[in-house]
Amino acid sequence: MIWSKATGTLLFYLFAVVSVALAIATVSSRRILRAAVYLMGVLAVTAGFYLLLGAPFLAGVQILVYVGGIVVLIVYVVMLTRSSDLAEDKPSAARKSTALLAALASFVLAVTVFKSSESAFRGAGSQAATMLIDDTAMIGRALLDRGPRGYVLPFELVSLLLLAVVIGGITLARKIQVDQSAAPKESSDGGVANA
Amino acid sequence: MVNLQTSWEVRTLSQRASEALAGGQLGLTTGYLFAGLAGLAVFLAAMALVLVYAERKIAAHFQCRLGPMRVGWHGILQSVADSLKLLLKEDIVPTDADRFLHVLAPFMSLLAAILVLVMLPMSPALQVADVNIGVLYVTAVSGLGALGILLGGWSSNNKWSLLGAMRAGAQIISYEVSATLSLLVVVLFSGTLQLSKIVQSQADGWWIWRAPGVGLLAFAIYLIASVAEINRTPFDISEGESELTAGFHTEYSGMRFAFFFLAEFINMFVVSALAATLFLGGWMPFHIGGLATFNAAMDLIPPGAWFAAKSAFLIFVIMWFRWTFPRLRIDQLMRLEWKILLPIGFVNLFLAAMAVLFGFYFFPVQ
Repeated sequence: MIWSKATGTLLFYLFAVVSVALAIATVSSRRILRAAVYLMGVLAVTAGFYLLLGAPFLAGVQILVYVGGIVVLIVYVVMLTRSSDLAEDKPSAARKSTALLAALASFVLAVTVFKSSESAFRGAGSQAATMLIDDTAMIGRALLDRGPRGYVLPFELVSLLLLAVVIGGITLARKIQVDQSAAPKESSDGGVANA
Repeated sequence: MVNLQTSWEVRTLSQRASEALAGGQLGLTTGYLFAGLAGLAVFLAAMALVLVYAERKIAAHFQCRLGPMRVGWHGILQSVADSLKLLLKEDIVPTDADRFLHVLAPFMSLLAAILVLVMLPMSPALQVADVNIGVLYVTAVSGLGALGILLGGWSSNNKWSLLGAMRAGAQIISYEVSATLSLLVVVLFSGTLQLSKIVQSQADGWWIWRAPGVGLLAFAIYLIASVAEINRTPFDISEGESELTAGFHTEYSGMRFAFFFLAEFINMFVVSALAATLFLGGWMPFHIGGLATFNAAMDLIPPGAWFAAKSAFLIFVIMWFRWTFPRLRIDQLMRLEWKILLPIGFVNLFLAAMAVLFGFYFFPVQ
């Protein structure tokens, strides 16, 4: 048990150092695709944190959604728009200071939230975390539970939001296609997409 | 009579290692870890050699040729000679390439393949690690492979590479959806994400036929979608040699080319092994209800051999595809996924959920 606890602490600090270093590299790199790769590293290490907290399902979803989905899409979009020798412009001093201010503000916010809910982290929260270990089925039941501790309403709202996004994406893609092919069909096609 | 259910208890390598660690036997722990690593490395190399040889021989015989015949008996040492040649070749990075990403990309592709390999339940006694989110993990990690291909194509600073990588990216992202949907069918029936438990849930029968109809359909969709995901013919437009020289790995040579090559062949094995694990019972022997003698005879064959045979059969099927179907065009490829496979996959998942809800399948669990 001593071994596993020591390994956990060691891994936490290792992940923390790697995560911060990669995050700094992400914002300071002037080659946009490299920045995307560093960002992938940050997101993957975050999955490592979830594993340390005993939430393997969340870690899997983190990798699946962020590394396999979002970073791949970012890389894909960069490939569509830019050529490899093009680097990001050097940011102005005003932009730099604004970014620093924003980062500081979110840091303060995070620390404040952590301080004000410290008791929850130490008490019931940690118990819940240990209870949730290895239990994917429990997450599924909680997400679809209509009772007072269930999350079915947020779950359905998120589905609705995603549906709206999908329809929006299809509408955007269709308009371009219609403009290129035939003008008279536009009204009928647009009507179908909007409905 | 030996009670087979108890003898099918899974003990993974990582489990043994952590037990040794808890017992304070540090030597044994490092031994297990080292055995895992060395075993993986040897397995990777051996698997690549065998698969390359099999591919060349099968391709040759499909075309009424003999294939490699000179090096060793029936050319059996040909792939050994070829890999030695690859090791000795010059490793070229193009002048205007993004060197860091160019070097990183093949490693990412190979890493994704190996990370999935670690989870495969090859036999009750032979599995490196077993996580309870197995299926989710496998789908998540395979996304890394797509990233390796995209970065490799981009960083080469070559238009063929870039085009090949874009095609591969679009293809992998699209077909991932169908592959995942068909995996979910098995997850619904077995009620777990853990790969070893999915294998154990098939003691009474394999999901391909135990789930009436939907299992077979899910298997077909998974096979098609995953052949597309690993960029093999008929879905190999990302490296279509008649149009793109060699696609995303045009600018790769020597060891780094070998890594992409290795990742491709390991991915073929991983896909076949996963299909065997989820739909064909993994290392479970083939049983027919009521025929006790037949079942006992089947049990004599070790589980590892069952797993190997099932995977080898599926690998042969994938190679068979290559010499049967012509290459698809990019628009045909996208239509096949979004207009044919995806709707079928959704309906199939819905029907599977219904079947699970009403217990409408063979040998219900409860």
